Amino acid sequence: MKAALICPSEREAVPVLAEAGPLALAPVLGKTLLEYWLEHFVTQGAREVFVLTGDRAQQICGVAGDGARWGLRVKVLSELREPDVSEARAKLRESGDADWLAAPLDVVLADRLPQQPERSLFESYAGWFAALKNWLPHAATEPGRIGMREIRPGVWAGLNPRIASDAEFRAPCWLGHHVFVGSGAVIGPGAVIEDGSFIESGAKISESVICPETFVGKFTEVCRSIAWGNTLVNWELGSCLKVPDAFLLGPVKSPRPLLLRTLQPFSVGMLQPLWSWKFNTKTEP
Amino acid sequence: MRGLRELSAANASAFRSIVGAALAPDLHCIEVDLSQAGLVDSGGLGALLSLYRAANGMNRNGGVSVSLVNPQPSVRQMFELTRMDRLFEIVSAPERIETGRKPETTS
Repeated sequence: MKAALICPSEREAVPVLAEAGPLALAPVLGKTLLEYWLEHFVTQGAREVFVLTGDRAQQICGVAGDGARWGLRVKVLSELREPDVSEARAKLRESGDADWLAAPLDVVLADRLPQQPERSLFESYAGWFAALKNWLPHAATEPGRIGMREIRPGVWAGLNPRIASDAEFRAPCWLGHHVFVGSGAVIGPGAVIEDGSFIESGAKISESVICPETFVGKFTEVCRSIAWGNTLVNWELGSCLKVPDAFLLGPVKSPRPLLLRTLQPFSVGMLQPLWSWKFNTKTEP
Repeated sequence: MRGLRELSAANASAFRSIVGAALAPDLHCIEVDLSQAGLVDSGGLGALLSLYRAANGMNRNGGVSVSLVNPQPSVRQMFELTRMDRLFEIVSAPERIETGRKPETTS
């Protein structure tokens, strides 16, 4: 049977989520929204899926491939603009062709998780965070999820974590694959640390999402925010900051120019005495 | 201090010099108007920290407060990220933008 998935092109309320790639590839607890939907279509009996996208089709192709990973045939169709459901249905479903999933699952707009149809992901950053937090306890135990284990009640960690013995966790928390958590860090409650992120010692993360491969610097505090690379969004207020200092917040893999590597110790040196004096934190041996 | 458009590594030295020259032993409160500042980086934070320490060092009794007036939301995020919002008082006072004066209190 067939199905079609419409990838949202842009949503004014959440521009940061579309900076790195199309919204359908936004990270949701270790998987992209696209992957959630393809898996869902498989469970519903689909064997062929059309993915319509008006935004960065190449990236969509990079994730979906030909669908063999899911036992599907996936065709990515590049559109000039995002079609609505009725347009897509009219375009793709030939009259008389009944070999489709039953409506409304035959043509779906990927702006929510399949398991949470009542929660729109892209109406606001607060909505995005609420949906992730609501899905968190279910994500680790959903069928087909590999590698997640509950390391403490309400705290799930993925493969190859490197967690300091004195890091503190307050449930609920999610740590993706290949996550580093430094000494004295406080994670949670309500913290999602996506794959490949690096949380330095003394950092504090609460009611926040640290998107994939994001570096959070020593003794920083991320609260009620979404951090992706050097972009920090307060999901409660909607304000957005591009953090200018990579040692505070930034992408894990950014190359650092020689000048910045030289200046960094001086910048940290200005601020660390305050942190260690004011907050009485432990310093690493 | 008013009218700062940015407080960064680029002007941190100048900021320290200007404000340092204005410090006096009898100061109790310093207000830095950040309403027009679009950028505050670690250099700027360091300058504010230096100001705080210098002011408190000069005042024998210590206890000099440094208030940051009307920071833009993104600038405020920078202070929250670095936990500097616990050291400096952040004040949102629309009246101060217009008049440069503290709002009047009514009894």
